[in-house]
Amino acid sequence: MSTNNTPTDMAGSAIDDEVSSAPGLFRRMMRQKQARIGAVLTGIVLLVALVGPLLLPWATGFTSTSFSGRPFQPDGIFGTDNLGRDILSRFLDGGLRLLAYAALATALGMVVGVVIGMAAAYSRPWLDNLIMRSNDVLLALPQLVFALLAITVLGPKGWVLVTVIGITHAPRVARVTRSATASVITEDFVRASEMYAVPKWKILLKDVLPNITGPLMVELGLRMTYSIGFVAALSFLGLGMQPPTADWGLMINENRIALTVQPWGVILPVVAIAILTVGTNLLTDSLARASANLNAGE
Amino acid sequence: MTSSPPSLFPMPPPAARARRSGPEGFSRRALLGSGMALGLGAVLTACGAQPSVIAAPTGNPQTGGTLRVGLSGGGASDTLDAHIPVNTTDIARVVNLYEALLYRDENYDLQPLLALSATPDEKAMVWTVKLRPGVVFHDGRPVRPEDVVATFKRITDPEDPKSGATALVVLDEVAIVGKDTVEFRLNSPSATFDDSLGQYSMGIVPADYDAAKPVGTGPFKVKSFSPGRQSVFSRNDGYWRDHEPYLDELAILNFDDDDAMINALLSSQVDAIGQIPLALTEVIGSDPRIGILNSETGMWLPFTMRVDRKPFDDVRVRQAFKLAVDREQMIEQVLSGHGTIGNDVFAPFDPGTTGLTQRTQDIAKAKSLLAEAGYPNGLDVELVTAPIQSGAVEAAQVFAQQAAASGIRVKIRRTDTTTYFGDDYLQWDFAQDFYYTRNFLPQVDNSLLKDSPYNETHWDNADFVDLVNQAKATVDEDQRNQQIAKAQRLLYDEGGYIIWGHPNQADAFQHYVAGLVPNKTGLALSGYEFRRVWMGGTK
Repeated sequence: MSTNNTPTDMAGSAIDDEVSSAPGLFRRMMRQKQARIGAVLTGIVLLVALVGPLLLPWATGFTSTSFSGRPFQPDGIFGTDNLGRDILSRFLDGGLRLLAYAALATALGMVVGVVIGMAAAYSRPWLDNLIMRSNDVLLALPQLVFALLAITVLGPKGWVLVTVIGITHAPRVARVTRSATASVITEDFVRASEMYAVPKWKILLKDVLPNITGPLMVELGLRMTYSIGFVAALSFLGLGMQPPTADWGLMINENRIALTVQPWGVILPVVAIAILTVGTNLLTDSLARASANLNAGE
Repeated sequence: MTSSPPSLFPMPPPAARARRSGPEGFSRRALLGSGMALGLGAVLTACGAQPSVIAAPTGNPQTGGTLRVGLSGGGASDTLDAHIPVNTTDIARVVNLYEALLYRDENYDLQPLLALSATPDEKAMVWTVKLRPGVVFHDGRPVRPEDVVATFKRITDPEDPKSGATALVVLDEVAIVGKDTVEFRLNSPSATFDDSLGQYSMGIVPADYDAAKPVGTGPFKVKSFSPGRQSVFSRNDGYWRDHEPYLDELAILNFDDDDAMINALLSSQVDAIGQIPLALTEVIGSDPRIGILNSETGMWLPFTMRVDRKPFDDVRVRQAFKLAVDREQMIEQVLSGHGTIGNDVFAPFDPGTTGLTQRTQDIAKAKSLLAEAGYPNGLDVELVTAPIQSGAVEAAQVFAQQAAASGIRVKIRRTDTTTYFGDDYLQWDFAQDFYYTRNFLPQVDNSLLKDSPYNETHWDNADFVDLVNQAKATVDEDQRNQQIAKAQRLLYDEGGYIIWGHPNQADAFQHYVAGLVPNKTGLALSGYEFRRVWMGGTK
């Protein structure tokens, strides 16, 4: 089923549980035409990224790092890249890491952001202020600049990439979480739990979290889209994936000198990243609409 | 398959060529504006539309016309100063405005220019230079020995040493010994001092030279100059060579990147461009209007191993690394086949570089050498690379792939150029560097003596120093070449350089541009000798 390929899968099972406890959200979402288009677009790219590496070298005759000819020659279906490697093989092998890193970074940003946001909303005003104002300081830093700085200092390693992007997402997620939480904690069922002296963390987890999944899902989709863009951009700038790894962002950088004469090395990854971000965006939009309706129905 | 790229646009190219302006009128806007169309122009012109083929001009050179040259590099710090050329456009300007006493011709042979001859005494301590009579500066004054003295004083000014000063540390004084004769008196023997006199940054200028009003003896005079954008030069009618220059005017245009430069050529905004990426030569050359000038050079892009640090302090490890390289494949993948195979020694045009058997990939031997050195299971090394020259990062990747077969596991660490040339430059254990064509002894001064400015491999070998010092003091050429050959063998066996190849220099030009010849110096477009260039009839 195509819904299996939505970004919700990648954030882990915790969010799946939340979704199932908010019945009807998915059905409402998938009833919209643009959600179905989004799912198909995302699904296509996911399929290429996940299955692509398994097809090599069987499908093209080359691995993603073996040389098939001279650079920028029209050999094979899409020609060769700047080092004479088969562009199709590089393309098939280049998406998985991008998606994995983006998903991990998004998950990290979501977890940290949700914890901070809920804690801020459900704590004393001075603590709330402290958390949210330091949040504002982080928000003032442009995400890409912060990422560039961290990677230049710590080196372009996988975990640095994931952590940095995750951390830059967290303040944005925290803001959304805080405002969503703030409207829930005044509800009677939270008061009731408080009267029974249920521990705060349990109230947040059992009473609050299930009631803010709508906005969080929207945030999840949005952050996923940004993460994909960031990982690709950092690789393009030479700070993400290191050569000779096959990677879509890196491919664009490596092959752009031949854009006018041997464009496929740039076009394939650009189109894939574009389709993926459009797809996840469409899904997120429909999710936002579905969750708005859902909340209105309550 | 054919070499034509996939067709993206069905229509023929826009008539960008119609927008041609006079040499004074290269506005940025015109260039940028047409640049938009050029992107497609590049695809279009190569994709099956059949522009009429313009035959390369033949017959006697014609005078007149303007040559517009595109070069990438340069910026606000561009200069017309004869003695501090830095980037490509600086060098192109200096070569055409000024002349040194000697120069390297297209075969990398040293030829007289403003000198008639340069001869050493038997100890190579004094060089006598006879000046060419009848040469005048752009302002009409004759070139006198006093000007030569002043020029070298300016270059070696201790307050403000110019680019050539390092090559002149052996120079004590320049003395006038006759009407047209000067003596270069040295503080230590140098049998190849004439090489220093032949550098393009040693142009002779008048004693009252002022870089703001640049006057030299070159084939062209300054007409206008705007740093980072363009320089327009006009013909020097008083030039000493018969008939030359053929052009009325020469315009040198700066480009920020290769793409814009190539597009400008394909849309006839410029007539010739210097240094195109080697991987693109075939595609650009498939345009019937465009000719490619492919020059073999002695440039080299080595891997550098520090001979004083583990694991490279063991000569067997260094030899194993040299044997792990498949040089043919390096040339194919990194240079698209446009290069000559290297043999771990530089200065391929030096007459002393002879008698070494070509080293080829030998995985079994590399493995056994590594095992002897204590690495029976191979070893892990980090290779530091940066885009210091086109092909550098690419070469690192290909090497990593090839070395794996010999049990050498290479981890590539790609940095940016600023980091690469930062504090750790010359300290990396295993990295890369880039050098232009030089003969053996001048290159040794640059990178292989204890106090050389660029000794990346930390090579400091007593036998080698002896050989080099002997060679420097030997005036007899055959004898000197034998000493150079011995020093080369030492580097071949034990040195820290892996020199896998010598990249070609590829330039592109419209077919109506005549007079460009392949040039081994590594400088673009016939070593920028535009005095020889003329425009064919159907411009």
